[in-house]
Amino acid sequence: MILNGLLNTIRKIYFSHNIVLWMILVVLPIGVSLFTMGMFSSEIVQHVPIGIVKQDNSQLADKLESKLRSSPVLNIKMMCSDMGECEHAVIRGEIQGFVVLPNDLERRTLRLEAPVIPIYSSGQNYLTNMFATKEIRSVLAAAGSDLFTAQMEDPVKVQIHSVGNQQGNYQGFLVLGLVTAIFHLAAMIVGVYVTSFPLRDHRVKEILGYAKGSRLTLWFASVFPMNIILWLESLGCYAYCHRILAPLSFEEFVMTAAAQLFMITACSGAGIVFVGVFGLMRMATGAAGIIGSPAFAFAGQTFPVMAMPFAVRCFAFVLPLTHVLMIQSTMMLGNVDMVPAWHSMEILIGMAIFWNVLGAFLMSMRWKQHVRLETKREEAAKLEAQAC
Amino acid sequence: MLKRLLKVAFAEWKLIYTDPAAVLLLVVAGIIYAFYYPVPYIHQTVTKVPVAVVDLDNTAMSRDLIRMASAAQQIEVKSIYPDMQQAEAAMARDEIYGFMVIPENMEKNIRGKHQVSVNIFTHGAYVMFHGAIGTAFSTCALTLGATNKVKQIALEKKVPSAKAIAMRDPFPVSIQTLFNSTGGYANYVVPSVLVVILQQSLIIGICVLGGSRAHRRFRKKFRDSPVENETVPYRYFGRSLAYFVHYCSFILFYHCVVYNIFDFPRRGELLPMVVFSLVFLASVINLGMVVSQIFLRRESSMQLFLYLSIPVLFLANFSWPAYLMPRWMTSISYILPSTFAVPAWLSIEQMGADIYDVAPKLYLLAVQAVVYAVLGLLLTRIRDKAKIDMGDM
Repeated sequence: MILNGLLNTIRKIYFSHNIVLWMILVVLPIGVSLFTMGMFSSEIVQHVPIGIVKQDNSQLADKLESKLRSSPVLNIKMMCSDMGECEHAVIRGEIQGFVVLPNDLERRTLRLEAPVIPIYSSGQNYLTNMFATKEIRSVLAAAGSDLFTAQMEDPVKVQIHSVGNQQGNYQGFLVLGLVTAIFHLAAMIVGVYVTSFPLRDHRVKEILGYAKGSRLTLWFASVFPMNIILWLESLGCYAYCHRILAPLSFEEFVMTAAAQLFMITACSGAGIVFVGVFGLMRMATGAAGIIGSPAFAFAGQTFPVMAMPFAVRCFAFVLPLTHVLMIQSTMMLGNVDMVPAWHSMEILIGMAIFWNVLGAFLMSMRWKQHVRLETKREEAAKLEAQAC
Repeated sequence: MLKRLLKVAFAEWKLIYTDPAAVLLLVVAGIIYAFYYPVPYIHQTVTKVPVAVVDLDNTAMSRDLIRMASAAQQIEVKSIYPDMQQAEAAMARDEIYGFMVIPENMEKNIRGKHQVSVNIFTHGAYVMFHGAIGTAFSTCALTLGATNKVKQIALEKKVPSAKAIAMRDPFPVSIQTLFNSTGGYANYVVPSVLVVILQQSLIIGICVLGGSRAHRRFRKKFRDSPVENETVPYRYFGRSLAYFVHYCSFILFYHCVVYNIFDFPRRGELLPMVVFSLVFLASVINLGMVVSQIFLRRESSMQLFLYLSIPVLFLANFSWPAYLMPRWMTSISYILPSTFAVPAWLSIEQMGADIYDVAPKLYLLAVQAVVYAVLGLLLTRIRDKAKIDMGDM
């Protein structure tokens, strides 16, 4: 009988022609995740547009220009007659930076006067500026070392390895976190929607009727399917995104999957708490948006949490996303040490329990209140009909 | 004419300030986000990232290298390990975010004129750590290499050290950033995000108020109101005027207050800023008016635009270059005002662009504004005639 009531309530909530619910539960999270992955499909930064101010028309300047042109990271888009022209092109956003090959470059180089080659970058595009300046520097350094000491190799060679993301792939750096952030927000929005649409449409009594009057059944019927659906979606998107990196071992996969499940449970619970507090879908959605939308900025993947002010670090700690990203990043390092991941998992489990218990309590009160209101409305409507 | 427009505008303002959801989106969100978003990046740069060194050489030269690394501003050498396993375990425990491996026999090989390889390992999940640790360690290792190479050149070619330095690096480079001299992360990310915040909050706010017009209670309450029975152009442009003036004050607030508090570069000249505000707000308001005619529920726009906030941010071409995205995605981005507004705003406010520099982007925003205005007027007319009954607010 309980199972029957549970299934009937699930059918009523999820399968009663509720297009908006399926849009925000399935179409938008998956669609936005795939779209975000697609944006970074080129994986690494290449062809950064730059300019050259060639003040020296010598063989050496020609050689440096051709070396810069042959770099796959750079795209020589402009040959400027003076610095002002290149500077305006930077302001217009046509190029990201420029190199000045100064007057008498060859002559002064051959006289060992070490003429300085200035590189100007806009400073407004972190990634492209970083890649462009690094590449220009290494191209020029390589060309310089070929000039007088070609037969002498550098005593120290440096190799930088990004552990867990060998190619420095931006789908690995950013998109894994972004996809998790999308589901972090999705769980809050769906949590708000599923528990607040019966309040908005005055259908609490009707849906509670399907749950045989049991608020616990109604709670499970509301929360359980959305958490499972969102979790499966997030796992699918994560696995699709992770295909470019080293495969996860079974233990790592279980750990990541569990972390995502607890994050979704905690976030949907938080969404439900917003409904319990505000009682209105639009206010609860607004609150979920204000907290959930910028969560990625606080979670430490782009800008490290350790470099944030103390109060912001506390806020970051409260966000489930921060802990999931910590677990995911630990998993990227391979099976070295699972202990720190367990600490984050404990926090996530605690958050999931706290938000859901609080949400269940607040919603139970709301449902009770709305059943009373709907009964009054029905009685008033009956009286009105009788009077007519 | 002006009186009729102002009457609608005043009625819309009244509506904004009497609807809690609209206040949350059109007033509170714009103010809160302006402070809430820049705060994590208030320190601007990442310094003293905990790192370690694996010293397999254990010689005077390796200790020199460790000392150099300890003096670097970006990193803080927390530990020196005798093997890589310990460093890997420390990285997994999040005690360090990267380490440098000084190879065995480094000093012996360098003195014997053999090349050595110094490996730097960074945490693959954190882009900023990768940059900071990689730059700091490689600068130290390359400096060590350069010092030895200079000595080698001086001895082999029998030249003074100044000439040996010039022979090793015949044309040194000097890197200058034109418009973000501190290289601050907040200077780079926050101004762009502020534009996206203005756009998203304004569109959602217009949709929340537009959506309420489809509701029975709203229609019942305002059925006889002269403002709601005004002709379409007056109603449309009057409402737009209310949002325009309201959001002009936000741009002023960001320019005068937020930029000052967080010390962002402020090079904007008056004329380009005024023209930018005009075309950007016109484009966003008209897009909002179009979208608000599509949604029948007040919350639907919130749900949609909250999901879209991440792609909208990345489509704005400030963090990931648009030319690296698939063509169809950049085509989609042309429907969003932020695609042109973010680069235009950065050019004006951060780089001090004049009106001619940003004219191409402002033209495109103006074209968007006109297209959306025509579409908005058309849809408003269609919706006026449609019979919509969506229950209570």
